Order: sequence, then C-alpha cells, then structure tokens
Amino acid sequence: MYKKGIAAFPYYVGIDSLAQVATPGDRVCVLNILGSESRQVTPTSHAYSRGAVVFGTSPGRRGEVLSTKVGNIPVYDSVREGLDAGHTFNTGVVYLPPAGVRDGVAELIRINPDLRKIVILTEKVSVHDAREIRALAQSNGIDIFGGNCLGVADSWNRVRIGGALGGDHPDESMLRGSIAIYSNSGNFTTTIAQYLATAGWGTTTLISSGKDVYIHFAAREFAYALANDSRSSAAVMYIEPGGYYEHKLELTKPVVACVVGRWKSKLTRAVGHAGAMAGAGDTAECKEGWFLDAFGVDRIFTPESPVCSAKGAVVINIAHIPLALTRVMELNGISPDFAPTGDLSLKPWLANNQGLKLPPELDLATVEAMPPYNEQIRELRRVLGAQVPRRNMRDCSGATKMDPSTQITSVHGISVLDLALEPLEANFALPLVHEIAAENDRALLDVAVAAEVNLVRDQVILSAADAAREAGNAPNTIMAAAACMVGPRRMKRALDATRRLIDLFANSGLQDPRDESFDLSGIEISDDTRALFLATEADESVRPEAMLKAVRARGGRSIFLKFIESMGDHIHRDGILAALATTIAWGPLMRKRISLLTAGTLPWYLRLYGVMIGSTIPGHHHQRGSLWGIPREERFASWTVADLAFLAITGKKPTEAEARPLQVLIGLLISNGPGAISAQGAKGAVSADGPQTPERVQINKAMVGFLTHTGYSHGGNGFEGMAFLLDQFKDANLVDPHDPAHGLELKAMATAFARTYKTEKAQAKELGLGGPRALPGVHHPIFKGKPVNYDPRERFISRFMEERGDYNVFHQFYRELVQALYDVGATPYVFCVNIDAVIAAMLLALLWKDYKAGDISERGLETAAFTIFLYGRMIGAAAEIDDHINRGRNMDTRTPASQCTFVT
Amino acid sequence: MQLTGMLHGATLLEHVDFPAAEVIGPEADEDEIQGLIDRHGSVFIKPIFKGGVGKKGKSGLIGRAGDLRTALAEKERLYFVEHRHGNAYAKAQGVTFEGAVPAEREVYFSITDSTVFRAPTITLTHMGGMAIEELDPKHVANIPFEALTGLKAFVVANALEDIGAPREIVSPLVQHLPKLWELFHHYGMTVLELNPIRMSPGPGGRLVPVACDFKCGFDRDDPRWQRLDLPDHLFAADYSDFELEINQLRTYQGQSDVFVINPEGTILAPTFGGGANSLVTEVLAQDAIISSDFGGNPPYEKMRSVARICFKHWLKQSNVLFVIGGKANNTDIFETFRAIADALREHFVQHGPTPLFVVIGRGGPNLVRGLSAFSDTLDALGLPYRIFGFDSAISEVVNYAQAVDRWMKAGGRQQVARSLGLADKA
Repeated sequence: MYKKGIAAFPYYVGIDSLAQVATPGDRVCVLNILGSESRQVTPTSHAYSRGAVVFGTSPGRRGEVLSTKVGNIPVYDSVREGLDAGHTFNTGVVYLPPAGVRDGVAELIRINPDLRKIVILTEKVSVHDAREIRALAQSNGIDIFGGNCLGVADSWNRVRIGGALGGDHPDESMLRGSIAIYSNSGNFTTTIAQYLATAGWGTTTLISSGKDVYIHFAAREFAYALANDSRSSAAVMYIEPGGYYEHKLELTKPVVACVVGRWKSKLTRAVGHAGAMAGAGDTAECKEGWFLDAFGVDRIFTPESPVCSAKGAVVINIAHIPLALTRVMELNGISPDFAPTGDLSLKPWLANNQGLKLPPELDLATVEAMPPYNEQIRELRRVLGAQVPRRNMRDCSGATKMDPSTQITSVHGISVLDLALEPLEANFALPLVHEIAAENDRALLDVAVAAEVNLVRDQVILSAADAAREAGNAPNTIMAAAACMVGPRRMKRALDATRRLIDLFANSGLQDPRDESFDLSGIEISDDTRALFLATEADESVRPEAMLKAVRARGGRSIFLKFIESMGDHIHRDGILAALATTIAWGPLMRKRISLLTAGTLPWYLRLYGVMIGSTIPGHHHQRGSLWGIPREERFASWTVADLAFLAITGKKPTEAEARPLQVLIGLLISNGPGAISAQGAKGAVSADGPQTPERVQINKAMVGFLTHTGYSHGGNGFEGMAFLLDQFKDANLVDPHDPAHGLELKAMATAFARTYKTEKAQAKELGLGGPRALPGVHHPIFKGKPVNYDPRERFISRFMEERGDYNVFHQFYRELVQALYDVGATPYVFCVNIDAVIAAMLLALLWKDYKAGDISERGLETAAFTIFLYGRMIGAAAEIDDHINRGRNMDTRTPASQCTFVT
Repeated sequence: MQLTGMLHGATLLEHVDFPAAEVIGPEADEDEIQGLIDRHGSVFIKPIFKGGVGKKGKSGLIGRAGDLRTALAEKERLYFVEHRHGNAYAKAQGVTFEGAVPAEREVYFSITDSTVFRAPTITLTHMGGMAIEELDPKHVANIPFEALTGLKAFVVANALEDIGAPREIVSPLVQHLPKLWELFHHYGMTVLELNPIRMSPGPGGRLVPVACDFKCGFDRDDPRWQRLDLPDHLFAADYSDFELEINQLRTYQGQSDVFVINPEGTILAPTFGGGANSLVTEVLAQDAIISSDFGGNPPYEKMRSVARICFKHWLKQSNVLFVIGGKANNTDIFETFRAIADALREHFVQHGPTPLFVVIGRGGPNLVRGLSAFSDTLDALGLPYRIFGFDSAISEVVNYAQAVDRWMKAGGRQQVARSLGLADKA
C-alpha cells in the first residue's frame, strides 16, 4: 500500500536525481527548532542555505524566534499554526527526542499536503517507530533521510538541510566539484569531502544516510539518483555492515566504495549505529564482495596494490579514498576538479615528549596547521606555562593530598616518605616546580638558599627576628617577624629580573637551561636590562661574586648565569638569584607543568627559605663573611641546605650521619595535606589577598599565615614524645643513641614502664578519670584492631634505616614498649608505634649528645623540635601557597554564614 | 537483548494466547518431572542460556527422556553445559523440561524487519524443524507487509499458498500466526522466531500450532519490552559492570554505546559517532579495550561522566589514551575535550598518576580551544602526547597510536612511569 513514485522501485521513491536532494527552492520547517542541537546547527544551515528555513515548532514557545545571521526564524507551537500564519514548506526536519519522532513525522505528513521530504536527525528512534514512519511515508509519497543521520547538502547550490554537514564552516569542506557522497556515517560524510579535496576532487550532493535498521533513502535510491544527476561524474560510498541495502546495486557511474567493519563482526551487540549488526549474509566481507563483483575487480585497493577498474574500487581505509578515486577516474579519462589542497600525512599540531627520548618514528615534530588554525595555535604557544582553571580552593589542594587509609601525604604526587629520602635541597624546589630537583638544580638551590641565610647585610630582617626572639616568642613567631620584612618591594628587583629572563628567552627555542653552548647572539640586551642585572658601586660585590664562584665550584651550569655574566663584571645579587631560579623553573615551565606565575615568583620562595632558616640563628652569629663562625666561601661552595639547618639548630656542621636523620625528619614533616592547620593558615592568607589578582598576593605574608597557624600544639608537640623518652632514659647511662651496643636492657625498661602504666590505667578507671595519661608515639586511630599493628610510615622509615645500618635506641625502645604493653595486659593488642614516635626518637637522638653535655636545655630541645617542624612545613606551605595563588578565587576560604554556628 | 528458550518464551506467548509446549524450569522436583513425562510421554531437556544462543540441537545440547532416570541424567549433563557458536560463548544456568508435542508436521515462522523490503517481513515454511537456510527456497515464503495495518490473516494465507503448504495446516496457522504480530510489534521486538511450531492434533482432530522453541530479540532503544515484566537478570549477562555503568548515561540526548572488545587491551579509545567507531574498531582490533560510540556532541557533564567511568575501569592498564574522530560537524570540541581532560585530571588526583601516552586526532567547532584545554592538562600531568588536526588521515593517526602502544610495551611504559616518579608501577 504505497504511493506510486519512480517506476523502477517496488516502493515509493520520489527523488529522481541527486540534484533534487537539497535544492535552493526547498523550504524547510524544523520540528523542535529550539532544542539544544537544533539551536546550534540550524542557524548555520539557514545562513548557508540563504534563508531556507521558513519556520520551526516548539510546543508552548509560540512567538519566540531562533536568531541567525540572515534573520530570525519564527517559532510556532505546531505545524498547523505555522501554515495558518501563511508559511509554506516542502521539507520537514526532525530534531525531536526519539519518542516524539514518529508523531512528528505524522504531524508533518498529515498537516502539510505540500510535504515532499523529511530529514530525521534523531538518534535512537525505536525500530517499532521506524517501521511505522516508513509505512506512513510510503503511503503518502514522502522521501525520508535518516534517522540518526546528519542530513543532506549540496555543494553546488550551497544548501544544507537538517544536520551539520560541514560543521560551523560548510564552505571549508563542501567544495563544488563532481563527486557525490553517500555515507552511513555523518561525520565521515564531511571528512570524506575534506579528504577528497586533498586530491583535487570537489562534491555535488552529500547524503548522510544514517545507519539505523531502517534506512529510507538508501544506496539503491542513491545509485538511481546518481545516474540521473548530470553534475556528478562519480561517487564515494561509505558503507558499514548490516542490511542488504547495497546488494546488487545498479551503478552506472564510477564509484569508490569504502567498506568497513570486518572486525566489527566479532561484536555481538550494536555499538552506535543500530543497523550495523550483520547477520549471516550482510557482513563487511559480503559487502566488499558485492562491490568487488560490481566493479569487476578481485581485490581491495591499497596504495601498494592499486586494484581498480573504470567502474570503481573498493577500499577499507578512508584515507585511501582520494587516491582510489583519482585512479578510477584516470581510467575514465576524467581529471580532478581543481588543484589538490592539503595532504593527509601525519601532522602533529601539538606535541610534548615530557623529556622522554622517543624512537624517531614516534618523535614527530610539530607541523604548522592550516589557516586559520595556525594563527590560533601560535597564539596558544605564546602563552607560556600551564594554564590552570580557577575554582574555590577551600579545603582543597592541587599540591598536597593525604591518603586517609595510609595517612601518607604526597606533595605533587610524591609521598613525603619518598621525600624524606631525598636531600633537602632537592625538596626545596618541589613545591614550585612540581619535580624533585636533579643534581644541577640542587647545586644551584644550595647556593641560592645559602646566599640568603646570613642576614648581616639585611639588618632590618635580623633586627626584627632578634626583637621577636627577645620578646620570648616561639620560633614560628621569630620566623614570621623576619618573613614580614621580605615584602614585595624588597623582592621587586629579583622578580623583575626573573620575568625579564623568561620574556627574553621565551621564544628563543631554549629547551635545556643547562646547555651553556646555547647561542645567545639572538637575545638582545637593552640598557634597561643591563641596569636590572648589574650592580652599582653602592651595591655589595663580595657575596654575588662568591655565589658565582660557588656555582662553578659545584659544577652548576646555567645559560642564564652565563647570559647575565656577559653583561658586565658586577652582577647584582638579585640578578643571580633570578638566573638561578629561572634555570630551575625553565624545564617545567616549557613543558607547561608549572605556570608562568609560579616560575616568576620562585625567587621569592628561595629567599624566604634562606631568610627563615637564617632568622632561627641568633643575630650575633651573623657576621660579615661568616655565619656562626663558618666562612662564606665554605658555606657557598660545599654546604647543603640540611647542613645549614643543622647549623641553625646546633651551631655546628653535621657529619653525614648526623645530617641524614635531620633530612629524613624534615622530609617527613613537609606536609599533612590541605586540612592541616598550617596549610589552612597559608591558604587563608592567599585567599584574603585575592589570588585572582596574583600580583597583589604577598607571598611572604602567606608564609606568615602558615607560621601563625603553627604553635605549641601544632608543630611544637614533637617535644611531647621527646619528653616521654627523656623521662624513660633520664637515669640510663646512654652515650650514643645511634650505637646498637648501648648496653641498656630495653625490654626490661619497657616492661617496667608497661607495668606501671597498667597500674595507672586501673587506678584511673577506678577513680573514674576517663583514662590514664596519653602515651605519645603509641597507637593510631586508623592503624588499630589487628593482633599486631603498624603505622606504615613508621615501617617505611624503619626499613630505610635498617637498610642503611642506622640504629636508633629510642625507636627500638618504642618497639619494645608496644609489645610490653600488650604482654602485661595493658593493651588489648599490640599497638602500633606511630610516626610521631619516629620523629621524637630521631630528634632526641640528634640532640642527645648536646643535651647530655649541657649545651642544650629541655626548653632548647622543645625549640629545636619546633624549629625542625617549621623547616619541613615551610616547604609544604610553599606548595599550598603557590597552588592556591594559581587555582584559587578571591576569599574562597571563608565559610558561608549559613554554615556557621552560634554557640552558647 | 535476546531471549531464547521456552521457559520465558511460553510466558510471552501466553500474552497473545499462542499455544506453547508445557515447560517446567530447573527448580522442578522429581514428581513434577515424572508428571510431565506421564502427561506427554516424553520430555525434552534443554539447557538454559541467557541471551541469544543458536544451534543447540546440532551441538547435541537437547536431551530427550521417556523416564525419570534418563531425564535426571540429562539434567546433570546439561545443567552447566558450555556452548560456543561463532563468537558467542555461553554457559548454561540450569535446564528446562518441555513436554513432547506429537505432530506430523513442523512449521518455521519468524518476523523481523527486512532491509530488502524495508518493511516487517514474515518468513514461513511448513518444512520446519531444520535450519531455514538449508531449505529449498521454493518452500520458504518471505513476505513483507504493512506496519500500520500489521500482520493480517490474508498475508499468512497467501504465503502458505505460495509455498504449497498442506491444506490441514493452513487454517490453524491463519488463525494463530497473526497474533504474533501483537507480541512482536507492541513489545519492542526486532525479531521473533518460533522453530519448530509443531502442528499437534487437538480436540476433534483439528491441528493446533504449538510453539516448541522460542527466540526473540528486543530493541534496547524501545522501552516497550518493559511491559512484559521480565526479570531484570535475563539481560544482565549481556553487560559487564563497565557497560552497565555507561548504559546508565543513555538518554535521548545521545547514545552511550559501549562494548568491551578485549579486557586485556592496552589502547583506550573512546570514540564519538558511529563512523569513527567503525574505523577505530576495525584498525585497532584486539589492541582496543572498548568499542564505543558516545554519540555526537555530548554535553560537558555527560562527557565527563563517560570519561570518568572509562578511566576508572581501564586507565590503569592502558598504554595509550586515544581520542579520535574526524572533522566533527556539530560536536563542540572545546566542551568535549575539556570534559575528558578534567576527568583525566580528577582521575590522577584520586587514583594517582599512571604511565600513559596520549594520542589525539580531531577536527570540528572550537578545535584549537579544545586542543589547548587538553594539551594544557597533559602538560600539567606530565604526560607525553601528540595531537593531530583533521588534516592528518584518521587511519594514519590510528597506526601512530598503535606504534606508540608497541613502544610502550617494549619499555616505553617504564620510561613514562619513571618520568612520573612511578618507577615501580610500570
């Protein structure tokens, strides 16, 4: 029961020639014109087709319009309303949701007697509805394209109906020519047109057929209309498995058939194209065979084996279409439509090896993109460094993270346990460059920080620190007083110099800043630049020279140092700091691991590190040319940051065995994640300055924020464990805590304490005191409940120490203690020795000899413990500060009033 | 979404009052089995497979018993039997016992949508009980009919006449077969096959068509099948956890079709649009973990969810994250890529970094902004990558991705791991 159309078909087909598929005379009504997809696509179609859409429908939105470049398209509640308003159309476009498509088709057909064509864009129309749509259209003499297609277009008439063939710029892909395209894939309809242009072929009519079970305007109809289209001399067909649409096609013009989906037959369920599931006789192989037979060839066309006939060629790779078509057309004596444009070889537009050495076949260099993309990419490349989207950073961090199950914190993806095993100077740059510094950068960092520790030339800082110390403050407050003095104006020259170096080298092609053979002739040095880097008579000259000498002595390499040295003999100290910082930041900046903002502020952090360590050394030890008696040259040339930290605490240079535990300790203390109070202080300080105007954020004040958020409870309590151990060992004759032959009966000591503790516990229970005294370093709320419990952080450090043959009597005592507590029945299972115990044990062992010699008091021990905490945490704070400046929003750490509680 | 066997088939046929063989399920006790044997003389014992499984008879997977002892022995043989047919593998989950239906003639009948006629079409023969493709075409009727009016009695009558069916079966088939259209069309089926229908003498000697095996497929884009109240677990075996999770994102706004090709694969290639999916699936083959079509122009939130789920299930084992498509027509590349990149960043934050090489090939609206968003993220995550524009042939980009995969397998993964500070996690 179908309406009679073209006699050649046993069902209704009305379109006689491809020229009738999308014509300038077509007038279009779009159903669901204000739907999200139509809203994007229809305006381009309308403009490209010079106003073909007469109206659209969207129930309940009568009177609205869809605005386009060529005028507004009116919207009505229904088709009838549009017709009543005087519009006429012959083509319906359906953007309705799947459940509404059948009814939409019925509306178009029943209401509009002039209707001739429908294009259905909607995906996922049920087969049930597709059946009925087919029947409706057949009985009423309507040609349907789709569903699940991207519509139809005509490059000659510049008409696009329905979907988005050619995307936002149809003119880019749909070049007028002689080839018709029929494709089961909407995307590939455009892609094939674009590929054809690379061989000089343009297009006539493009049909995205869709690949549902029901294809209404299918290959057979296409072949018939192709034959009758005088503009089209050949066609490309892109065919997927499933269905008999292409079986025994009557092709009268050359065709290149791209048949894909051999492998897909292994899939037992449709993916994407519902109709692309093959049965027994309609697989990709079968379809290849149908076309091979039609063309009289026996093999697939490939560039290596270009098998084709004048009738056509079969390819299975979309990239081979242009060549196959050209070869087929050569056999027909037909030349391409125009000169080839572009080619299809591999052209990476963007690339990053991340410093890896790739094999040559993979290490493809970037290639300039075609216009206008090349200019857009150039613009993109001008943007140095990483771009990080801003967001609310309250209680969030992009720098640190604590794993709640292991309690192990990581900083930029590296666990503090691993950091604890790295030299301190290697960790100093991590918060900013997001990588652990390698050997060259460590040398530069040692010099950069060492040069800032002696504050004798920065009397204001020294006075502020001393005054704070004098007033009886804890080390955090003393450091804060000093940090306050390292404000923006004091940093201006170093920051300007850093930015200048980055700007000068940004487009120089410099990749490796250690490469001192890099050609500097292309870098212009203006007077202004010279003035920025060179010192005047009034500036100090000894320290900068010593810094340069020290870098060389350590084998440090830096093209930036070489560059500024080429400007003159006397370099300003800030210029050297800038050069060292830029060398360290350059690689990560170029690899876009860090932002320009971070690279540009690195000197501020390096100076703060040095000043904060320096401020913990009493003022009278800061002398010209020496610090606590250590000559400048020696410090610059060979001391590590850990050595400096040890000096600040004990007044002595450590042996390697002494420096290692300090380095481990500081590493462990770097961060406890963004929830730690110290981190909150730093983040709050950044938030209050407004990270959205990063140039206004006072990084030194953010450091002060961290420092004010530490104290006797947070940071100072490392002493509690030490005090506990002191209590246990006060009567013991312990000389060297690192000597396993200490001669003490640790087990007996632990058992004695455990018994006492058990008694205390029983008494406390009897008295209803709620529990005995807390045991610092024992037990953990996460690592509990098993017969024997371990804190993984403690195990990690233990293993490390065992591997190195290091011994710590206090740590060993703790291990005996947890067992003894269980053995005497004081604890229900063997509690863990927690990380605080390790810290206390290492601290006390570090200071034991000085303590026993009377060089350091108990108060001094407490100060030392707190100071070491601050050294570690300032690295973690730097990570939070920089992260928040880069990602945060102004005042994003405040709590909304609705979430605040009033208590009485 | 296929269903085979009489256990549920008989229930479905009841909906349209089509006679079916008596069937009892795996929970039947010995008395019930004996009762079935007593009523029908003998029983067929068939394994229960979830989904569509063919050629059971030829594989010796149908037992027949005239006594309880044999029936139980067959039950034991077939209860967990494994069956491989083509690419499909299935393991039985119990057996059914079906009463034998005495008949002299067997009929084959199916309804599906024919791409030749582009209409619903019946296939009918009175030479049923054997593979339809092995029959002489003159005995097989393939008759299209109009969907709006449905399968009418005259269509069946004409078809039977065309193939010269014996007179005695014409009337009962003309009476009963049109009922099956109701089941097929109104419950969202794409195929319905009864083979065999045994023409069994009823009261008065008049033949009654009795369905003795049942097979159907449902259209998963059609919710009508839910009217049948079939247990959910029937189709659960069709999907992996990953597929189920992705399927929850299926909305009318776009598809989210996925298929796990190789759970041991090393290239994770989410694709958008059926064309890219076909091409990528074709070229990557076993290297690909999934074959997917997440539809054109997915909105940001959907795309991020899709990527998040993909990464959750597969990123750890992936050497290459491969995002590929042609020159998109209406897919906003900025929105799509921003969503994938954000999901990748979030994944790294939550699960830590993993060694990965990223290969991208795409064209479309907002292209450079999209590529830029992606490359910025990869830069920040420290992942190596190559991003190709639409002027590189898609197939060449696929080959490049495979070359990267090979390099990753041959030591590259360790190098990337080291560069990410994951030396021991390669």
